[in-house]
Formats: sequence, C-alpha cells, structure tokens
Amino acid sequence: MNEPSESGTDEVDPKLLEILVCPLTKGPLTYDRENQELISETARLAYPIREGIPIMLVEEARGLDDD
Amino acid sequence: MARPPRIFDRTAVRRHRDRAAAAAAAHDFLIREVADRLADRLPDVRRRFPLALDLGCHGGQLARVLDGRGGIGHLVQAELSGAMLAAAAGSRVHCDEEAPPFADDRFDLVLSVLSLHWLNDLPGVLARIRRMLKPDGLFLGAMLGAGSLDELRQALLAAEIDASGGASPRVSPFVDLRDAGGLMQAAGFALPVVDTDRIVLSYADPFALMRELRGLGEANALADRAKVFTRRALIAAAAGLYHQRHADADGRVPASFQVIYLTGWAPDAGQPKPLRPGSAQARLGDVLGDDG
Repeated sequence: MNEPSESGTDEVDPKLLEILVCPLTKGPLTYDRENQELISETARLAYPIREGIPIMLVEEARGLDDD
Repeated sequence: MARPPRIFDRTAVRRHRDRAAAAAAAHDFLIREVADRLADRLPDVRRRFPLALDLGCHGGQLARVLDGRGGIGHLVQAELSGAMLAAAAGSRVHCDEEAPPFADDRFDLVLSVLSLHWLNDLPGVLARIRRMLKPDGLFLGAMLGAGSLDELRQALLAAEIDASGGASPRVSPFVDLRDAGGLMQAAGFALPVVDTDRIVLSYADPFALMRELRGLGEANALADRAKVFTRRALIAAAAGLYHQRHADADGRVPASFQVIYLTGWAPDAGQPKPLRPGSAQARLGDVLGDDG
C-alpha cells in the first residue's frame, strides 16, 4: 500500500473550519488550502496548519503585511 | 476595561508542558483520575452532545477516558502545548486556553480537566466558554482549588524564610471554592453548581512529588517567580521539613489536591428559573402547617 509521502497531507478537520475564529480579534478566518493557512483579515495574520492541526497562536502566525 | 493582572507566565506554562510531554505517561495519574471523575458525571446528564470541546486537553487523556462515553458526537481538543497535543488523536487545535479561538454559539458541551488554574483571566475565559456554548449547552470543568499542595507550599515557605528571611511565590495561588461559585455566576452561567473533591496522593519522598509536578508540566509558572534556579540547599531544607511534618511510618509523604468541579449551562428560555420574589400563590406557612 502506498503511504502518502508529501508532508502536510493531513487534511484539517472540516468541522474546525466552521467553528474557528481569530484568537486576537474573534473575526472570521479564510481557509487557504494551498498554503495550509487560516487567514485573519481583521488581524492581518495568517495562522499555519501543520499536520492538520491549526496553530491558533499569535506568536506562530505570519504577518500579512510583513513582506 | 482594565487588563487583568498577569499572575501566570503563559510562555512558561507552554514550555513546562512541552518539556513534560515526553514523560507524560509516567506522571499523568492525577489528570487521568480527574478526567475519569469528570467523565463519570456525564451519564447523569441524559442528553446527547453532537459537538464538544476539551479545553486544555493535555495529551488527550480525557478523550481516551471518554472513549465514546457521555453521548458525545464530535470532540475537538485544544491545548497550549504542541508537544502534548501531538500525543492526542483526532480533531485538534493548538491554541492558548486564555484566548480560545472559537466562535460563539457552537458547542453543545465544553469540558476542561486541570487547565483552568493557570489562567490569568479566569473570569474572562469562563464568560468566553459560556458564549461558545449553544443555548442550553453544558460546561463541565475540573480545576485545582485552594488547599492544593498546601503541604509543599508551607514547607517551601518555611524553608525559604529560614534561609533568607523572605520568600518568593513558588506554589500557585488557587481559586477558593466560594469564589468559584461567584465566578460561574458572574460569567453568566445558568444553574451553576460548584463542588469539590479532595484527592490525596502518596509519594516515596518530597522529591518524588516535585519530580511528578514537573512531569505533569505543573512546574512553577508564576510571573513573579524568582527567575534564578532554586538553590539545591533550599529544596533539600523544604523536603526535610515536608518529611518531618507529614511522613508516615514508612517515610512516605502525602500531597493533597483539592479539585473544584464547575458545572453550568448556557442560558436558555426553556430552563427552570427561580420565580420572582413575591410572586408566590400560596404561603409557605400554610403548606408546612406551621402556625407558630
């Protein structure tokens, strides 16, 4: 049997996408499947999803205006 | 609104839990025991919970204890320590329990086992939990309360005063049972109930207790803790006092944990409510047949 070898192939639980908000602003999040990120426009932050686990920590988030 | 005082260093809490994760299985007896006692309360509630949250799930101990019990459909597990979260399975969110990243009106049930005592803003988080619940949703939490680790607190305090004429905080301040009821009410829970349970564990010696606390990820994370390593002599003196005061005939020492259970419902129109004062249709005296 072939194991998926690509990293980050674990899909995030779709249920989580219905209930998660930005921890900083409580604003809505947009799921960026390609980059495995949850985007908070209100906080201008992108929260990473690693191995299917959303990392909802401000200190781990990427600033949308950083680059 | 004024920010609540910063009592706990959440970065240190995260680091302690991350470090503890590897050896968690050897030290998580207390978490498993309290998770079990909390889970035992669920069958009393005759209903189903399609979507539940374990806030501060450690390594997934509660999920393993529940194992389909309690009428839970889908369980989401949230935890501050990535290393602990990695030991859990299923639907997980890495977050700070202090800022739960969940929308309002989503959960039928929120559970929490031994995580709330490290929060700086417990009243704020309880109010958030209440809002995250659907109307008539249930919150069931267990946290360490006042009286926990008193033997250790007293021994460390006495040893430090002996050695240096002063003392720095080494054991967490814990919420008092009476305050817990007030907190639940202030957070807006309907039908709040607070009760407590004392668990006394036995250790080979005071050092074994201290190792276990570190192994639980429960090492000192007070923001005002002394930021230098505690001197070995002080620990030894405290251990000596602990032993002298509490050891049994075999030299083993007890450690008390006072677990406070918090129960409350998100308000809903259908819930029983106390009547307005003065709205009674009959006199209590008539019912009791009490004519003085």
